[in-house]
Amino acid sequence: MGRKILLVEDDRETAAYLAKGLTQEGHSVEQATNGQDGLFRATDGTFDLVILDRMLPVLDGLSVLKALRAARIETPVLILSALASVGDRIEGLEHGSDDYLVKPFSFAELLARVNALLRRRESRVDPADHRLSVGDLEIDPLSRTVKRGGKKLDLKPREYLLLEYFARNEGRVVTRTMLLEQVWDYHFDPGTNVIDVHVSRLRRKLDDGFEKPLLHTVRGAGYMLAA
Amino acid sequence: MPTTLRIALLAGLLALLSNLAVVGFIYWRTHDESLSTVRRQVVEQGKVVSDMYRVGGQVALNDAVADAITYGDPQTVAALVDRHGRQLIGNLAVIPVQGGRLQEGYRSSLLRLKNQSTPREAAMVVHRLPNGQWLISGRTVGDGLALRETLESSLLLSLVVAGLLGLVCGVIQAQYVGRRVGGIASVADSISAHDLSRRVSLSGSGDAFDRLGQQINAMLDRISRLMEELRLLTDSLAHDLRTPVSRLRSAAQAAAESSDPKEQEELLAGVIRQSDILIRILSSVLEISRSEALTGRNQFTWFDARELADKLAEMYEPLAEEAGATLRYAKPGDPLPMFGHRQLLAQAVSNLIENAIRYGAAGGEITVGVTRPDAHIRIAVSDRGPGIPTELRNEARRRFGRLDSSRSDEGAGLGLALAEAIAHLHDGKLILEDNGPGLLTAIELPVRHEGTLPSLQ
Repeated sequence: MGRKILLVEDDRETAAYLAKGLTQEGHSVEQATNGQDGLFRATDGTFDLVILDRMLPVLDGLSVLKALRAARIETPVLILSALASVGDRIEGLEHGSDDYLVKPFSFAELLARVNALLRRRESRVDPADHRLSVGDLEIDPLSRTVKRGGKKLDLKPREYLLLEYFARNEGRVVTRTMLLEQVWDYHFDPGTNVIDVHVSRLRRKLDDGFEKPLLHTVRGAGYMLAA
Repeated sequence: MPTTLRIALLAGLLALLSNLAVVGFIYWRTHDESLSTVRRQVVEQGKVVSDMYRVGGQVALNDAVADAITYGDPQTVAALVDRHGRQLIGNLAVIPVQGGRLQEGYRSSLLRLKNQSTPREAAMVVHRLPNGQWLISGRTVGDGLALRETLESSLLLSLVVAGLLGLVCGVIQAQYVGRRVGGIASVADSISAHDLSRRVSLSGSGDAFDRLGQQINAMLDRISRLMEELRLLTDSLAHDLRTPVSRLRSAAQAAAESSDPKEQEELLAGVIRQSDILIRILSSVLEISRSEALTGRNQFTWFDARELADKLAEMYEPLAEEAGATLRYAKPGDPLPMFGHRQLLAQAVSNLIENAIRYGAAGGEITVGVTRPDAHIRIAVSDRGPGIPTELRNEARRRFGRLDSSRSDEGAGLGLALAEAIAHLHDGKLILEDNGPGLLTAIELPVRHEGTLPSLQ
């Protein structure tokens, strides 16, 4: 289902590339090339998502974000930035953005995050009060128990968090960085495949002995939980 | 106005002002003193003469006045005036009347005596006698005044001399200061002209100028060191980026030339992988310089160091297992609260763990531990691998310093440098020690109490 996305980005090449990709995904994309114009359009409030570059002419991204939040416009904002230090990312998130993506990034990474943000807007129910199910997998967030095909799975606490995050993004690509940020709350890039090792452990517990795998690897992007 | 002149003038002015204060004080005291002495004498003399009248009557008074004039010193003033204002006996040339008549009491005024041509300052007492006559008795203070004038003129002279001397001292001082400062300035000049090797010469006296010189020399040493470091860093960065860039280039070229779609896809995946390596190198370099510049202290928070280590140990345990080692963490019983950058410290410790897994997994056992040696928190990662010989440990800390010359694996040699930079951000240090056998790496940070928060930037 297509959504309305506002793209505020002054670099023509990046903007064209992103607009093309997002349009191909079925979204309608409106563009602004400076902060002031971006803020003006975003205050209209009819967008489902704002993708905001951090360094913009006239008015920088963080100021746009601050102004938006001050005007009580709660449209999800994804910040794109060439400022890559851990401190910069945290600063961006503290200013009220919903996600922060460092340039350069792959389009798959951006798309995964866009979809996660759009989905979050869709289901604003209290996450703890209803069960999640994917195929024959059942997750009870209250007791933190997981069953597959009626059989209880024995997961470690972190494995449970990982699975719950996958389940909340059922059918959507989840990238390694998203997992690191959302499940571990770390905003740095480990130089190793530490996330893959955790996912493959979870996969063994989840899929071993079942005919149909639930946890899939999406090449060049990440993972996806889908029946 | 040149500084030398200004210093000289200032010194002269100060000398003048301080002397003025001293001279003023002396003048005030002597002036007061001489006037009150004369007054005492005059009152005394007046009393003696009028007593004569009381004891011996008119005749005795007349004699006393005549005697005073005849035998008294030349400063003596004495006169007997009748009720009409005529001088009966006396040495006054003019009767000092006020408003047409004499006034009783003490006063000082100008008086001209009979044998004098000019009036002189005098102090006198005027008594009215019971028979209606006036008795004037007093002293000219001419001599006292003359003394005062001498005193005043010498004081004035000393004032001028003091001012001049002050000026001369000022010039000498200014030249001295100018010479010492000039030496420092000429060093600064040659540094601006790109000669960083010069140093301020010290007199060895340990005075303020020497201390200034020492400070400047220390600053110059530090700048040279930093510049050397920067040069090395730029060199290594350029060198280390060449490898992934050339791999990237050849993979891209091969992909462009390949006609087999499957092979093309593989080559392009390689292009992306090499780009990711490049990006990772660049962000690490960025993170290091940010931490060394102490930015990010405004993101410090309180957290439990035990939990930080716990979460990382749990995160890396599967990776260690894949590499054939067991990762253990003995969690201390009590919380170890600390104030710092949680994300960056997690990254620093994760670098230590990754290093241990990468180079020490062969030893089979990796241990993470948090201890609190006096007023510090120490997060240590130790392995039983080959370790690093003492003489190579500094190389290991250096950015891009890698001990194996083959640069085949993906570690860019930035892990320990970043951990050290993050330790510096927290006023702490990175420790590399022999684990007998193996390597122990640790981050040791001073514990902060709420009262001693680091300055926020």
